[in-house]
Formats: sequence, structure tokens, C-alpha cells
Amino acid sequence: MMRYTSFTSYDFILLAQGLGVSLALFAVTTLIGLLIGTTWAIVRFYRVPVLTPLITFFAELLKNSPVLVQLFLVFFGLPALAKINVTPVEAAVITLSGNTAAFIYVIAVSAIESIGRDQIESARVFGLTRWQVLRHVVAPQAMAFAVGPLTGLLVNQLQVTSLISVIGVVDLTKIGNILNLRTLKPFIVWTIVGGLYYVTAKLIALGGARLEKRLRAHTAWKGL
Amino acid sequence: MLTLLGKVCDMISARGVHKSFGSATVLDGIDLDVSVGEVVSILGSSGSGKSTLIRCMNGLERLDGGRITIDDFDVSNPKQLAEARKRSATVFQLFNLYPHMTAVENITLAPIQVLKIPRAQAEAEARALLDSVGLGARSDAYPAQLSGGQRQRVGICRALAMKPRYLLLDEITSALDPEMTAEVLNILAQLARTGTTMVFVTHEVEFARTISSRIVFLDKGRLVVDLPTNDFFASGGGMANPRIAQFLAKMRKD
Ligand SMILES: Nc1ncnc2c1ncn2[C@@H]1O[C@H](COP(=O)(O)OP(=O)(O)OP(=O)(O)O)[C@@H](O)[C@H]1O
Ligand SMILES: [Mg+2]
Repeated sequence: MMRYTSFTSYDFILLAQGLGVSLALFAVTTLIGLLIGTTWAIVRFYRVPVLTPLITFFAELLKNSPVLVQLFLVFFGLPALAKINVTPVEAAVITLSGNTAAFIYVIAVSAIESIGRDQIESARVFGLTRWQVLRHVVAPQAMAFAVGPLTGLLVNQLQVTSLISVIGVVDLTKIGNILNLRTLKPFIVWTIVGGLYYVTAKLIALGGARLEKRLRAHTAWKGL
Repeated sequence: MLTLLGKVCDMISARGVHKSFGSATVLDGIDLDVSVGEVVSILGSSGSGKSTLIRCMNGLERLDGGRITIDDFDVSNPKQLAEARKRSATVFQLFNLYPHMTAVENITLAPIQVLKIPRAQAEAEARALLDSVGLGARSDAYPAQLSGGQRQRVGICRALAMKPRYLLLDEITSALDPEMTAEVLNILAQLARTGTTMVFVTHEVEFARTISSRIVFLDKGRLVVDLPTNDFFASGGGMANPRIAQFLAKMRKD
């Protein structure tokens, strides 16, 4: 006779679904974050007046306040202020994308700044436009420089996605919560959930390390 | 080159060039013409403003006064700078190669992107240039895999690949040991023989003497002497100026 508190095979489907939601949110917010963060860094590279200090200030705000507070602000604050309805998933996407963008901006800026002024100057003297310099001289080197810190960031951002369970998004952590309440076996449930996060993070780290190796293979540091 | 006025002006021309950094005046009214076919060496002690003058010519520094034109294209005019830059090419003291690109890629980047030369042709030309400076076998090496002298030879090829009318060279051997310096100077001597126009900032006084048609001496941001090479080294010419005599004596001692 099966008891209400024992695990069923359906629980594993639930876990897989939770993991899927976490991964999808992570992937979408990483993509949006990459897009926004690098766009901000490019605006800064062009030293666009007004916009550049504005972006820096905004990124500072996002970086230096708790993600949970940002999440509440979007989920509860936005509807109260602007009278628009925000679903939990929308709030999660907006908050996590913004947060990731802010950190990617910081990484991209320092990657761009790691490239010697002298190279940029010589490319400019040879008549390359700012865009051509960015595309052919700055970007390839900045990318090789950024992959390491970026991998670290993404591993961390994956863990941060677990915060969205508090506004009711049914991600891996939320599923953990549900299973925990039903089975009353917290040690087993949270070990499995933690293990799933761990394995995913490990895969991200491995992928990053691979990519870094590939990017650096084409550069001057090969064989030194 | 024809201008709107129909005037033909094949030269780099600096008129009353002023440049200061903060309160320090670094160039103080420089007048200098370099015509096609000339090799003009710029001498002067450290801090006299030689590099700054070159950086004004290639548009890396904004002038605070005066005017520099290259074939009548004003480097201070953003619309004319691109054209001015196409006519001159710079070789840098510290090479300034792109570390993530091979020798050939370093050389072909600007010809492909700026001059719109087809890649295959640009690469063939780059390899021929590298061959001519004895680096044919190192065409696909990255800068970090090359010696200083080899890097600077790539730097020279990169400039020549733009087929510039004027070569601007700023102390291109001062980061090299004597053996590598000789490698690089040999190439310059060859270029001078084939009639390449050069503005050559250097501390290699004896070498400047052998390749230059004129010598210019800068002192504290002022151009104090501009003479044909022979006159510059004659006792009644440049040597009559105590600052120059002192400078040359010091250079010969080192
Ligand atoms: N970006 C800068 N900011 C402030 N001061 C500068 C800058 N560039 C050059 N200077 C100053 O301008 C003066 C002239 O410098 P410059 O590099 O033109 O001299 P130089 O004749 O090339 O000297 P060297 O023989 O040592 O290369 C120096 O006093 C230098 O400190
Ligand atoms: Mg100098």
C-alpha cells in the first residue's frame, strides 16, 4: 500500500519539469542579459554622451541591490505604480535579465579596457572605423578575456534563478518545496534538488572552459 | 593632388602647430614641409616633442593651434582625416601589432577593411612584403612567437601594405637590441633608396645621416634647425648651434 508521503515516479517528472523551467528561465535571461549588457558596453566604447553615465549608474543600482528586492519591486511595485499586470514569469524574466545584464556589462567593460590603447590607436591610424576596430581588434580579444569571468557569473546566475520561486514560479526550487511538504523528507528532497543544480552548474563551467580554450587557441598566447 | 583651387600639393605641411598638455606647451609653433621623395629625420632630446609631432600628423592628437595638411587634406577636419590617413602610414616604437592575428592577418586587416582590396590579393601582397623583409617563413606566426626585430619588420610591412605616400616612423628601433636594430635599419635604407618618402624620428644619428635628405632638430617644442643633411653636420651649419652640438656629442658618446 503506497503512502501519501512516499515518492512516486510522477515526482521525477515534476522534478524534470521544475528543472526545465529553471533552465529555460536561465537560458532566456542569459541571452537577454548578454544582448543588453554588451549593447551597454558598446555604447560606452563609443563614449556616447549622457547615455554612458546613465548606463553606468543604472548598472551600479542593479549590481548593488538584492535581486529579491528587485524582484518584489517588479512584481508588486510595477503593477501598483503603472497599473500593469505582471505575471510571475514576466517579473522573473525582467528582473533576472536586468541583473545579468548589469554584471555582463561590468565584465564586458573590463574586457574591452584590457585591450591596449596602442593597438586601438594603430588600427585607427590605419583608417579603420570605430566599428571596424571593435569588430576586428577589440571584440575577439575581449571575448577570450571575458569567457572566464562570464562562466563564473553564469554559474552564479543559475543559483540566483532559485529566488523566483518565492513569487510562485514553479521552478526546480518550488518543486522541491512542494515535494518536501508532501513527503516530509527534507534531507532527500533537498539533496536531489541541490544535486540537480550542482550538475547543471558543472556543465556550464565545463562548457565555459572548453570555449575559453578554443578562443585562446587562436591567439598569441598559444604555446607560450 | 588636385584641390578645389586646382592647386597641386604633394607634401605634408605643418604650419604654426601648437600642442599643449594641460599647462605644458609641447609643440610651440612648428613649421615643417616634407615633399614626396624626401627623407626627413627629426632629431631632438627626450621630451622635445618628436612623438607628439608625429601623433599630430596622423591625427592621434588634436592640434591646439596651426594646421597640418597631407596632400592638402587637413588632419584637423574630421571629414578629411580619413583621406589624410590613407596617404600616410605609421610605424610605431612598440610595434603595436594585434596579438590575436598572425603576421599576414596583421598586415592585411587595413588593406581589406579600408582599401577594400580582395582578401586573396591582400594576402598575396602581404606574403610578398614579408618575403622582401626576410620573414616569408614566419608569415603565419603570431606576434608573441616573433622576436622584437621580426615584429618591427611586420610593423613596417603593415605600413607598406597601405601603399602610403608618406611613411611616419617614430623611434622604431629604440625598443630593439643592436642586432635587431641593424635588421630593421637595413630595410629602411632599402626603402630610402627606392624613393619612399619618410618622416623619421630617431636617436640613430649616424644612420639618419646616411639616409636623410634633410634633418630637423626639435628643442623644447620648437623647430630650431631645418637643414639639408650635409649642412646640418657641417661645423658652420647645425653644429654652430650649441644645443645641437651638445646633443650630437651626447649621442655619439652613448
Ligand atoms: N598624453 C600626454 N599627456 C601629458 N603629457 C604628455 C603626453 N604626451 C606627451 N607628453 C609630454 O610632452 C612632452 C613631449 O613628449 P614627446 O613624447 O613628444 O617627446 P619625444 O621628443 O618623443 O621624447 P622621446 O625622445 O623620449 O620619445 C614630454 O614632456 C611629455 O611628458
Ligand atoms: Mg618619442
